[in-house]
Amino acid sequence: MIHFDNVTKVYANQNRPALDHVSVDIDKSEFVFLVGPSGSGKSTFLRLILKEERPNSGAIHVAGKDLARLSNFKVPHLRRRIGCVFQDFRLLPNKNVYENVAFALEVIGKPRRFIRKVVPEVIELVGLEGKAHRMPDELSGGEQQRVAMARAFVNRPMILLADEPTGNIDPATSIGIMKVLDRINRTGTTVVMATHDAAIVDSMRKRVVELEDGKIVRDQSRGVYGQAY
Amino acid sequence: MRINFILSEVWIGLRRNLTMTVAVIVTVAVGMAMLGVGFLITTQVNSMKDYWFDKVEVSVFLCSKNSADPDCKGKGATAAEMETLKAKLESMPEVEGVIFENKAAAYKNFQESSASKTLLEVTTAEDMPESFRVKLKNPDISTPVLQAMQGQPGVSSVVNQRDLLGGFFGLLDALRSASYVLAGVVVIASILLIANTVRLSAFNRRRETGIMRLVGASNLYIQLPFVMEGMIAGLIGSVGAAIMLILAKVFVFEEFQTFLAPGSQLQWDSVAWAIVWTLVIGVAICVVASFVTLRRYLRV
Ligand SMILES: Nc1ncnc2c1ncn2[C@@H]1O[C@H](COP(=O)(O)OP(=O)(O)OP(=O)(O)O)[C@@H](O)[C@H]1O
Ligand SMILES: [Mg+2]
Repeated sequence: MIHFDNVTKVYANQNRPALDHVSVDIDKSEFVFLVGPSGSGKSTFLRLILKEERPNSGAIHVAGKDLARLSNFKVPHLRRRIGCVFQDFRLLPNKNVYENVAFALEVIGKPRRFIRKVVPEVIELVGLEGKAHRMPDELSGGEQQRVAMARAFVNRPMILLADEPTGNIDPATSIGIMKVLDRINRTGTTVVMATHDAAIVDSMRKRVVELEDGKIVRDQSRGVYGQAY
Repeated sequence: MRINFILSEVWIGLRRNLTMTVAVIVTVAVGMAMLGVGFLITTQVNSMKDYWFDKVEVSVFLCSKNSADPDCKGKGATAAEMETLKAKLESMPEVEGVIFENKAAAYKNFQESSASKTLLEVTTAEDMPESFRVKLKNPDISTPVLQAMQGQPGVSSVVNQRDLLGGFFGLLDALRSASYVLAGVVVIASILLIANTVRLSAFNRRRETGIMRLVGASNLYIQLPFVMEGMIAGLIGSVGAAIMLILAKVFVFEEFQTFLAPGSQLQWDSVAWAIVWTLVIGVAICVVASFVTLRRYLRV
């Protein structure tokens, strides 16, 4: 599903590579934690999958497509098959829960009838039934992140990328977020989650890929956050 | 394509940027009105040239009894003097024909070529001078005739109508150039304003556009609301310009045309053309300016 082959990424005006000869394979419906200290290249890894950044060398394949050969014109179609959630939720403050989720479908031109059908389903999937008409500032951080997950998942992507989704959320609420991610993963969606949250990684016992200074230093199935712990 | 959705985004954008949008509308309206006035003056000048250049003559005005001209020495031209002048004119190779115009004929011509009622009311046949109307073979070669007639006994003054019109057309040409230059300056100002509006709009909506990019909205979907904002502002501005052009036709050109011969008046179809052109140009400028700025400020 996601295939990195000897990928190196050096940002402009930086001498140290953000990713350094990274090769990794992530299969369909896998759940992968991306761990490592700050600045180790986790977010860069996720941005490369979205073709928000281009590698300096090496090849990336996503869903069978070689990103280097994917024209700019086709990038939006790639992104429709990938959902994203972030630490800062990125909701639209002037739209309610329903509208925030529907927005993702409206801007890719889905018909209104389809939107009316799937948005309530996915709001229920993330556990926000009954809160569809709340505004983002009337929700807790955990609830806002559920809205973001609903928006990322509403178009049934093949891949869900999560960049520190629990970074702004207390541990108890984080468990609920992880349950939603797990539920999404069980529908067959590949989930890649960058995180600093050792407790979560240790409790889930999923595949762990550890980055350090842009290099993969560990790739362990059913792993824990750090070997030192 | 979800038209409703795009239109609601456009509406939100326009409202959020109301002051800038109003500035764009006003400058586009003024710029396009200046451009349209330039078009109208051009059309007016061309139709007047067509009408008049056919008819221009050299007028040799004759002394009359109470002429104030010192050359006349207070006496009217005698029959002998008139005969000599006419013979001299007819013998010149540059001259095609000579017509004597008495007071009555001069008055009749005046009545026909002037539509101004007030002017007609205060003028009588007695006020009109007698003259020889000299039709030239080539209206561009008039100097020999002018020189031959200047200061001859019985001649009060020699007027090349072409010179009178030339000054008048020169004035109109200058007015037209001025309105084009002004239009150019105002259009540049409106382009800069549009660029700034789009920049602000892109900044205000960076959250929305960021999410749109992330969920895979096509460039068209992301850019269309911005371009349509520019287009709508351009359209409203151009409609304002159209109203100004109609007012200019009614209150300026029509006033001014009471002094013109019927055949050279500015017609409504010319105004309609000027409106269509300014509308197209106004909207095109706004769309292109928004699109070009978007490329710079909206990463896709
Ligand atoms: N847009 C950018 N321009 C230049 N350098 C960048 C850019 N984004 C990231 N970097 C650099 O690349 C390296 C990797 O950054 P990245 O954001 O991928 O790290 P990370 O593992 O996500 O860190 P964190 O855990 O703090 O989010 C860092 O040294 C960072 O300074
Ligand atoms: Mg990061």
